[in-house]
Amino acid sequence: MIRWAPWEVGVDRPALSGTRLLGRFRAAEPGRAGWIALWIAVAVSELLALRPVLLDREAPIQGLDVVFTLVGGSFAAFGLVAWRRRPDSRSGILMTATGFAFFVSPLLGQLDAPLAHTIRVLAVDWWVFGFVALILTLLTRGRLQTRLDRLLVASFAIPLGIGQVLWMLFDPEQGHLLLAFPDADVAHAIDRVQRATLVACCIATVAVVAARWWRASPPRRRALLPSLAGAFGLLCFATLLINDLVSGTRSEALLWIAACSLVSVPAAFLAGLLRSRLARGGLAELFRGLGRMQGADLEAALRRALGDPSLVLALPATDLEPSAGPGRAVASVERDGGRVAALVYDASVDEDPELVEAACAAAAITLENQRLHAESHVQLAELKASRERIVAAGDAERRRLERNLHDGAQQRLVGIALQLRLLQRRIRDDPSSERLVTTASDELAESLAELRELARGIHPAVLEHGLPAALEALARRSAVPTTVACHARQRLPEPVELAAYFVASEALANVAKYSRATHATVRLWRQGPTASIEIADDGIGGADDCRGSGLRGLADRVEALDGRLRVASPHGAGTVVTAELPCAS
Amino acid sequence: MRVVIADDNLLVREGIASLLREGGLDVAAQVDSADDLLREVDEHEPDVVIVDIRMPPTHTDEGLRAAHAIRASHPRTAIVVLSQHVEYGVATRVLAEHPERLGYLLKDRVIDVDDFLATLRRVVAGGTALDPEVVSRLLASGRDDGPLATLTPREHEVLALLAEGLNNQAIADRTEITLRSTEKHVSSIFAKLGLPETGNEHRRVLAAIRFLRG
Repeated sequence: MIRWAPWEVGVDRPALSGTRLLGRFRAAEPGRAGWIALWIAVAVSELLALRPVLLDREAPIQGLDVVFTLVGGSFAAFGLVAWRRRPDSRSGILMTATGFAFFVSPLLGQLDAPLAHTIRVLAVDWWVFGFVALILTLLTRGRLQTRLDRLLVASFAIPLGIGQVLWMLFDPEQGHLLLAFPDADVAHAIDRVQRATLVACCIATVAVVAARWWRASPPRRRALLPSLAGAFGLLCFATLLINDLVSGTRSEALLWIAACSLVSVPAAFLAGLLRSRLARGGLAELFRGLGRMQGADLEAALRRALGDPSLVLALPATDLEPSAGPGRAVASVERDGGRVAALVYDASVDEDPELVEAACAAAAITLENQRLHAESHVQLAELKASRERIVAAGDAERRRLERNLHDGAQQRLVGIALQLRLLQRRIRDDPSSERLVTTASDELAESLAELRELARGIHPAVLEHGLPAALEALARRSAVPTTVACHARQRLPEPVELAAYFVASEALANVAKYSRATHATVRLWRQGPTASIEIADDGIGGADDCRGSGLRGLADRVEALDGRLRVASPHGAGTVVTAELPCAS
Repeated sequence: MRVVIADDNLLVREGIASLLREGGLDVAAQVDSADDLLREVDEHEPDVVIVDIRMPPTHTDEGLRAAHAIRASHPRTAIVVLSQHVEYGVATRVLAEHPERLGYLLKDRVIDVDDFLATLRRVVAGGTALDPEVVSRLLASGRDDGPLATLTPREHEVLALLAEGLNNQAIADRTEITLRSTEKHVSSIFAKLGLPETGNEHRRVLAAIRFLRG
């Protein structure tokens, strides 16, 4: 029944993902029919064991027998529940087996066969093996891992196995097949040795369990509660046996106490079940807060939800391959097949795999959420930067064009005009030629003027002399009398000056075209890191935000600088266009 | 009259130099950068410097800065700043503190060589020259209901020439009216605009500009 294979907790154990977590626990599990058969077996065994009490009204009811039978039933039933919950753990099987072991005596006792009687006497207390193994291995999934565990379980074979056989060889009262040398005194002596050894075994086991509990972390202590209850039961039995040895008579009261104390094991198991149900309630709280969680909050919330203050949320950035360490378990938090983080927690939390799975899912959702959040932030910033670059590139290109016109074509034309003028002076005595040259000169002057206007439209070269000079120039060109007030002493960053200039230029053009205003004002001021330009008129108002593509294009330009463009234009009360432009430098 | 010319375009530089030489001026040096200009001015101490506002390396306002430097080191040297475009805002900057012996003109003006020579002489004589385009913009943007509206067309014309920096005689020559009539027009303009009468030309120019600016 017990596999003696070494199986280290937490060391070299593969990390488990949230989605695969449950799969791990779906080890050798009976099928549906298997489960039904097992439950029927428990029920039938229980009923059969109780048959004398239930059916034979003549026989006196043995209270202790009933208690033991019920204890057996509770072990078997809760064992099946535990097995079902954690198929990978042998604790459930151990518990079920212990339960069935309790039935051996009452069931065989009902058969009138010498062999059955012999087995009954031999194995009456063999439930202790399962029981001790169970309480020693709650944290190791029912596996006897340490030499000490194995030694302890094996030690019970001395009084209950070898001792029992020896005793049966000599004890004349039982009437079984093994009786070879009836000798009451020898039997009595063996019995005393048996009881003494059993006391020693019990106390050793209790000591080991107590020591383990003492050293355990809070979540492990919770998981060890059934062990502690079992140890208490063993202590009761030890007390009973000591009393037997000292007083020479069996104390009925102590036997009752000992028998009843066994129920505390399934009860503690039940309490654990309830607790993990309650812990699921913590999940609701965890999920409620997911939306606004940061990394550290998430870890704290996971700790609360799993009831494990030592839990660590290992992020790939800090710890790619978190090592578990003894008594620790690792569960991978995955998203789309890739590990995004890992939970390192007390291995005893694995008692409730669904809880761990849910915690992993919560962590995955939160981390994904955070990742998406961060990603969208980055993308937004990239988008903004790219828009800024596009505007800047456009500006640079316009500036280059304007330079080329001014310093290239225009200069050349001026040069040619000068040459023509020199030529004209040399041909004064040839009136027809002079007329031709004069015409050419005039044409050239026209071209120069046109070219100048063209260049101005492409890029306002006047900005080289500062925004106030440029705004003054704009105001002088405006068809509507315009006054300019500049309250920004220092030069603004070039893109800001350009944006402010274009806003003023477009707004003044609109004033001239639509507003029927008699006067307009341009105000420029700087408050802290923000420069503002405001173009106001005393016209008819009612301007539409999107009138023409001019203002919309300007809004793009302003927003590329992280600024804001607003148009307030109530009917009959003029129009105010305001641009707020952050000056990064 | 000794002249130093600074313009980074060879064709323009040579063209201006040739025209000025034909007009009887002594072109002492031609340079293509602000630094060279300062050196040549130190060496030749010219009566007038003709400087392009945009020159290497940044092609923004090197000429203007050189003008400021010359104004500081050689206050007697007249300076004519040429530009491919003239703007009111720049004009006020150029003429800000010491408008005497200063001119701010569109580069195209050099083509009309007689006018340009007259302007040079005027500036060298202590006068001011403001490009007609700037002045016309100033006049155009004035309010319709202000005192400007009370000027007669002739007075308007005289005011423009006055703002360009012309003295009474030059205005008379340009408008082909008598000096006496010109003086009367000027008095009338100053009275209508509420400006104090002054014999000083560049003060007169500044007063007119300030008024026009509003």
